[in-house]
Formats: sequence, structure tokens, C-alpha cells
Amino acid sequence: MTILNRVAGARPGTSGRLSRLLIIELVLLALFALMPLLLGSIWSEDDSFFWIVFTTKVLILSLFGLSFDLAWGYAGLMSFGQALFFGGAGYVVAVMSRDLGISSIFIVLPVAIVVGLVLAMLLAAFLLSGSRTPSIIFIAFGTLTGSYAAERLARAWYYLGGQNGVSVTKALTIGDMPLYEGVGFYYLAFGLLVVVYIGCRFLVRSQFGLVLAGIREREERITFLGYKVQLTRAIVFILSGAIAGLGGGLYAFHEGFVWPALMGPIYSTQAMLYVMLGGVSTLIGPVIGVTAIEFATIILIDYLRDFWIIILGVLLLLVIMFRRTGLVGVLVSERERIGSFRWRGANRKSDSRSD
Amino acid sequence: MTKVIKNDRTEGQLTRRSFLQSAMWMSGAVATGLGSWVFPAKWSHAAGPIKVGIATDLTGPIAFGGIPCSRIAKLAIDQINDNGGILGRPLEMYLEDTASNEQIAVGVVRKLVQRNRVDVVLGGITSSMRNAIKDIIVGRGRTLYIYPQLYEGRECTPNLFCTGPTPAQQCDDLIPWLIANGGKRFALPSANYVWPHVLNEYARKSIEDNGGEVVLEEYYPLDQVEYGATVKKIMDEKVDVVFNTVIPPGLGPFIKQLYEGGFLKRGGRLSCVYYDENALNINSPQEMEGLASCLDYFQNIEDPFSAELQAAYQKRHAHKDKVLFSAGSGSTGMYRGVKLWEAAVTEAGAVDRDSVAAALDHAKIANGPGGPSNMVPGTYHCQMNMYIAVAKGGKYEIISKADQVHPKECG
Amino acid sequence: MEGAFQVLFNILSFTSIMVLVVLGLGVIASMMGIFNFAHGEFLLLGGYTAYLFDIWGLPVWLGIAAAPFVVGFVGVVLERTIIHRFYAAPIVAMLGTYAIGLIIRESVRGLISGMYLRVPEPLVGMFSVGDISVSKWRVAVIVITILVVTGSYILLNRTSFGLRVRASLENPELARASGISTSQIYAATFAFGAALAGLAGAMMVPLFSLYADMGLRFLIQGFLAVMLGGIGTFEGPVLGGGVIGAMTAGLPHMVNPILADVLVFVIAIVLVKMKPMGLLAKGRK
Repeated sequence: MTILNRVAGARPGTSGRLSRLLIIELVLLALFALMPLLLGSIWSEDDSFFWIVFTTKVLILSLFGLSFDLAWGYAGLMSFGQALFFGGAGYVVAVMSRDLGISSIFIVLPVAIVVGLVLAMLLAAFLLSGSRTPSIIFIAFGTLTGSYAAERLARAWYYLGGQNGVSVTKALTIGDMPLYEGVGFYYLAFGLLVVVYIGCRFLVRSQFGLVLAGIREREERITFLGYKVQLTRAIVFILSGAIAGLGGGLYAFHEGFVWPALMGPIYSTQAMLYVMLGGVSTLIGPVIGVTAIEFATIILIDYLRDFWIIILGVLLLLVIMFRRTGLVGVLVSERERIGSFRWRGANRKSDSRSD
Repeated sequence: MTKVIKNDRTEGQLTRRSFLQSAMWMSGAVATGLGSWVFPAKWSHAAGPIKVGIATDLTGPIAFGGIPCSRIAKLAIDQINDNGGILGRPLEMYLEDTASNEQIAVGVVRKLVQRNRVDVVLGGITSSMRNAIKDIIVGRGRTLYIYPQLYEGRECTPNLFCTGPTPAQQCDDLIPWLIANGGKRFALPSANYVWPHVLNEYARKSIEDNGGEVVLEEYYPLDQVEYGATVKKIMDEKVDVVFNTVIPPGLGPFIKQLYEGGFLKRGGRLSCVYYDENALNINSPQEMEGLASCLDYFQNIEDPFSAELQAAYQKRHAHKDKVLFSAGSGSTGMYRGVKLWEAAVTEAGAVDRDSVAAALDHAKIANGPGGPSNMVPGTYHCQMNMYIAVAKGGKYEIISKADQVHPKECG
Repeated sequence: MEGAFQVLFNILSFTSIMVLVVLGLGVIASMMGIFNFAHGEFLLLGGYTAYLFDIWGLPVWLGIAAAPFVVGFVGVVLERTIIHRFYAAPIVAMLGTYAIGLIIRESVRGLISGMYLRVPEPLVGMFSVGDISVSKWRVAVIVITILVVTGSYILLNRTSFGLRVRASLENPELARASGISTSQIYAATFAFGAALAGLAGAMMVPLFSLYADMGLRFLIQGFLAVMLGGIGTFEGPVLGGGVIGAMTAGLPHMVNPILADVLVFVIAIVLVKMKPMGLLAKGRK
């Protein structure tokens, strides 16, 4: 079996046809990779610059959506507070840039990841600890409350700029070279997204991912099998926090501004909107969701601004009621969507197979 | 600046997008896609039109400010165009709606600066909006930015010029007057965000320098509407003057609860430096009796140019929707900003940022709302006339006028 | 002394509103086992109804009286068309009601253009006894809440309708077997919960402002209160609402208002963590 097929989850012994899901992923990968070059040849320099910057934002927000998918789609934790990690990391790097003048990418990004990770760890420790399994409602509430309280605090705390937020006027620097918005930042965001995506993909298709799937399906059985369910979920939740944090750090420098609502419940639930519409539990779903919603918003804004969010709400309701698998579910079969996992046996036996 | 919210029952109609698009003043606006509008140049010139970007809140809670700002900008630009433009070139106005939402604002201002490549951006009303968009304009966009609204000061970013009143301009005459006409014991109930914090620092110093004393200074979350505890403290401490920086939604309830607590009955004096004609609608006249405000313009000041400007604005906008040309909305600073910029471009003979910024640094206009205005070199702020007015029976009475008050910023 | 009395009244009136909100949430959660994430928006609709009556020139008290019926009606419609599908899966219910809440919130936001609006009080002025004066409307809120809560209690425990409701709560299958139409009971319960929220919202807007996001704050506080008080009893939500309401209105008097704001949430969530079944819960009895 080729590596591609193995990653795609095709079972050993099949003819090696690429699954539809993989095709979607590859198409998107190619599109995003080549977009700046394509744009430059079609449109004026000003227009294409604008769209490159816009798409960079989409890529950064995809990290945000991805983090929600990990938490909800894979760990089964309804997290209404992903923005806490995203915005929290954004605030920390913004304040660091304002007060300490730090803008080097080698400090900013790791700090952002760590902030997201630590916040998620604290929240996970609080919510998931204890001998009794917390109900999903409690987790939803706990994360919602965390997000809400963080937003209120940020609004109130003068040091954080209060309601005015914090402006990030420095550009991200790689060594001595500043990285402004544009093609450079685009490929940075793109590269990071690809790395994170592939990492997550491997994780959820591995043995660990198999345990996660088991937890989603039959939690009690998995517990009886000896797996530490809460710990497993916590790990995924913390990972999602780290990814959201990374996104937040990039956002702060790309958009140049962080403000309290970035940590709040409304923004958190925006992630839910992106992911549910795109397709939960698929990893590519969030990317599709973010891209579709953001592009649709900016294009339809002339005609529909007041109504657009209502339409999105209605779409979300329809998805919840009828097709919980979102856009991806429309294109890809259920089995492929869940995918299969690397078998312990396959790792050894495949060496001897000829492909 | 503050978020002064006007409470008008017909508001729902005026800020709806469709109304905007069909409104007379928008006729002539051409949609350029992605939610942008431009008022095209009326004639052509070899070097092309000069592009003026206006980014302000046409929808949302701050629309009461954004709409008059955009209208007065259009009026000013039309007047300039009627006089042959600047340097013989026509002005084109690019209008973007920041929708009282910083996240949206970042996106639309990017359009102005990156896609339309405007030569100057005027706009932003609240300080949070200014903060959100300033880096995109001035830093990444390398474009001039003029901020027209009254605010807390301390904005000393190069290429960012402020044409609205600063704390010094609002307090220097008002505080002594309040002490003389109210008393020495001050309370500073405030909304908890940057503008009140910084304004109160200045106000406190001014109060103490003039022999007064601050007995209470408190900050409340923006949506707090229960002020029982505050009113009790104000009455217990025998406060003479309430120097208020609570903003809506808390403003209406606070003033009302203060009135119900007997503050005015006891002879207390209210003061609020963002109160303009719009704010008069928030509470009933008896709740605001005696309220003192200090602004760069009121509708009934005695200044012929201001009267003409007000009349020209009213003629265009027929006063139907009660969105007023007033100082609290930022529209006075907007007019001032456009005219000062015009003077700068004319002096510089060019439109590039650095030449214009150098000229704008010391630009002067002889006529503006409230009177003339001069930029104080090296400080990015300008002098202007300031008026103290007191609310009586639901209308303002002008008490005093101070000429060309110094902004005392960035010096 | 007089000041303390006034402060007490203010706390009581805010707590009353909180109790109404929480009662509605609690009733829905206990009966159908779902958490109604649109509850805050029912409050919003109640407030909006009062506002509309005011703009149309009708008396505000009429709008406030009408609000529970209007919102209750909306509740019935939503329940019959969408929400009843979610009873089997509480998580889906959570998401679904969230989406409905989003639609309602953004629609109202569009209708009021994102503004902060005021509705005048139906009873203007103060009651004065000696040095003590309290706002008439606040007193009315407290009185109305007491009446409604008492009335609900009587309805639930002393009428045959209440008997049917309690039967459906304890053992739905047996209730159905006994000829009780549980789906009707569910619809009625949802409508009742919505109506309570609508009433709370309408009574609240003369004291606070009407704005599109007001529901969110009450949703979060309401849920914390329900979890604090426990599901399954009548007294639980009332107690929870009382505690949260009192803390929210009372803490700012003792602590810096900004800190008080966050402290309420922190204390509440810690309490819930310590007692996940609620302070008063006996589980589903």
C-alpha cells in the first residue's frame, strides 16, 4: 500500500483507490498552495493583495475551527469556550508586543501555543477532574462560563486596554526580517495549518484515535477495557487549546488588534458554526466551513448583511436537525468520513506487500 | 471617545441598510462591490481624482454618530469640489461602514487602504474603533489618518491627527465653573473603559488644583444599570457635583436613579462632557436640569459660519430623522478634519502622505463649526473654541465661550 | 438604615427577575430533560414585546401583561415544530436550541438596529415611608413575582392539571398508559417556561435597557442557578435563582464592581462542581 493510501485509511488489500475524503483534502491543499500565484495573474495587484490577505485570515481561522472539531468531534467535549484559548493567546502576545516589544516569531508562536495549552489544561483540570464523570451539559456550561468570564474581565481590566482592546503595531519578525501581511504571511499561515492538519490527521487515525472513536461510541465499554477515558479526552482538549492558541497568536499579528469579544462566547460559538456547517469530526470540515462562510459573507455583504447571520443560524439549525454531517457529509459517505484506523497488524505485514 | 447612544423611537428605520441606500444623500453613490461605496469624481484630471476614505459607523449603536459624520464629510467634499477641488483635482469619497463592530471594521478599512488605495482616511468614533483600525491605516497601510471625535487624549502616533476635543479642552474651563456654580465635593461615577479612566485623571488634577476634592471615583461594567449603591454613596457623602462618565446603557438609568435619590432637589449639579443635543433625549428634562457640558459646538452658539453650516446640513437632510449635526457625534471634528486636510494638501502641493503630514502639522482654518481651528505643531492635535452650556428645560443655554483652547497633548 | 433598606429592595427586585427566569429554565429542564439555550432570547422577546407596545402608543403595562402570552405562544410553536424532536438527545437539544436562540437574537438585533432602547416604567415614582423611598415599579416586580411563583406552585401541586404534569415528570410511560397526553403536557410546559421568561424580560426592561445581547447574560446566570439549585424540584430553581440574583445584585456593594461581576460566575461554578446535583436536589424523585 502506498503511504497515501495508508493515511487515507484504505484497508489493506484494496486496490489502492484514493478515498473521496482524501481527494477533497488534496484539492483544497493545491488550491490554497497555489492561490497567491493564480490571483496575481488574474487580477490587479491591489485586488489580488486584498484577497491574499483575506485568505490568510481564513487560514488562521481554520486553525480555530480545527481546534473546535478536535474538542467536540473527536473528544466529545462540547466546548463553548474555544475562543478563550484563541483570544487569550492573542491577548498575551499583543501585550507582550506592546510592553516588551517582542515580535520575533520564535518567541511569539511558542508563547501563543503554550498559553492556549495552559488555559486548556486549567479548564480541563477543573471540569474533568473528580470521580464522577461530568455531564456534557456541565462541560458546555463550564466552558461557556469560562469564556464569558474572560470576556468580562478583559472588558473591565484597564491594563488589557479594557473595551478598547490592544493594538498590535509591530510586525512579526523572523530574525531581522519583518513579515507583513501578504504573500509571506500567507505561506506562513498555510504552512502552519498544513503541519497542524497532518499532525491531527495522523493522531485521529492512529490507535489513539481508535480509542477516541470508542469513547464517542461506547464510553462505558472503553472504560471497562482499562482506558483512562477522562485523561484521553483531556489530552485532546489540551491539544485543541494549543492549536487555538497558535491561531490566536497569528491572528493578533495579522489583524493587528485584539479585543475582549475575541475571547467571548459569541466568538466561541462562531467556531461551532464553522465546524457544524463544514462537517464535524472530519478535520477538513472546519476548513471548508470557515472558507465557505467567510467568502460567502464578504461576497454577499452588499445584499444581505443584515440577514446573513440569520441565514447562517437557520442553516445551522437545519444541519443540526437533518444533516449533522454538514457539507462534508454531503460529499462523502459516512464510512469514509469516519475512516478506518491503522491496524496493529498492518504495520508489520504491509512491508511484505507489493503495491 | 465614548459610546453615546441616542434613544430615539424611530431609530430602527433610519439605520436600516435599505434606508441608507435609498436616502437622498446616498444618491450618486456607486456600489463597488463587497459592501463598498464611492461617490465618483465629477470631472477628470490628468493626475486622477484625490481619494478620500471615510470609515465610520453607519449601522449599529454608534450609527447616531457615524451617519452625521459621513453626511458632513460629503457636504464638505461637495463644497470643495464646487470650488474646483484641490490642486485642480476632484475629490472622490470612498465610504465604508464599520458597523460599530471592530472585527468588521478591520476588514472594511483594509478595503479602503489596500484595494482602493485612498490618500487619507477620516473616521472611527469610539476609541476602541480607532485602536482597531489605526494600525491598518497608519502602520501597514502607510496612509494618513484623521480621527474626529472627542476622546481621552494620549494618541501621539505619527500620521494620526485628532480633530476632536481633548480632556484639557473639555475640563480647563468647565471644572472651575463647576466649583463656582456647584460646589467643591466631586463624584466621578464612570464606565469602566479607557476614556473615563484617562479623563478622570485629568479631571481629578484640575479639580484639586482649583480647590475642589474628589470624594468618590468608581468604575462600573458597561451594562450595569443598577446604581442604587452609587446614589446612596453620593447622597451620604454630600457630593456637590457629579462629573459623570457613565455611558449608555447605564446612563439613562443612572441619571434617573440619581434624580429619584433626590440629588437635584438637594441642589446638586450634574456634569457630563459628552452631552450634546442628541443626549438630551435620553432622560426627561427634569432629570437633567442644570446639567453642564463643555463642547466645541452647540447648535445655538452665536457664530455666523456655524449657523450657515448647520443650515446647509439641515437643508440637505431635512431634519427628518433627528440624526443631528452635533459635537458629541464627531461630525464637528469631521468637518474640521476635512478642511484642515484640504489646507494641508493645498500648502503641500502634493497628496503623498509625508508632504501632507508635514503641512497638516501646522494647518489652520479660519472657519469651522464653533469657530476657527489651528493645529498645534508637533502635537497632532488642534486648538478650538470651547463652549460651556447648561441644560434648562430640555434645551441648552450657552454660558460661556473660551477662544482657541490649547489641547495640551503630546507636548 | 434607610440606605440599607433601599439596597435590599434593589437586590430583591433583581433577584425576583432572576427567580422567574430560572423557574422557567428549571421547569423545562426537569420535565423534558433538555437545556433550553434559547431561554435568554425568550427574555429578549418579552422585553421587545413591551417595547413594541410602547412604540405603538399602547400602555406599557399592557405590553408587560401581553408579553408572557406572546412569548408563550412562540414557545408552543417552536416546541411543536422543532424542539420536540430533540427530547431523545439532550446534546442535540442544546445545539438546536442554541441555533434557535441565535436566529431570534440576530433577528431582534436587526429589528432594533443594534441599539440600546428604553421602555418607560408602567408605575412611575416612589413609595415614601418616612426617610425611606423605594421605586414603585421595583415593588411591583417583587409583588408580581411572588404572585406568579405562588400561583405556579398552587397550579402544580393543587390542581388536576398539575397532577398530570407531575405524573408525566415522574413516569412518562405510565402517564401515557393512563391516558395522559404527554406531548401536550410537554408543549404546555415549554410554553409555560417560555412565558415566565417573557414576563421576566418585559418586567425587566423598564429597569434595564433593551439590547440584543441581554439574553446571553441571563442565560449563563440562569443555567448556573439551575445547576446550583438542582433539577427536579420546584424549590430548587427558586433557591438557585435567589442565590445567584442576590450575589449579582449584592456583591458590588461589598467588592469592587468589576471583580464582583466575575466573582459571581466563579463562585457559582465552583459550587456546582462541588455539588453537581445541586444544593437541594433529590434527583428525579
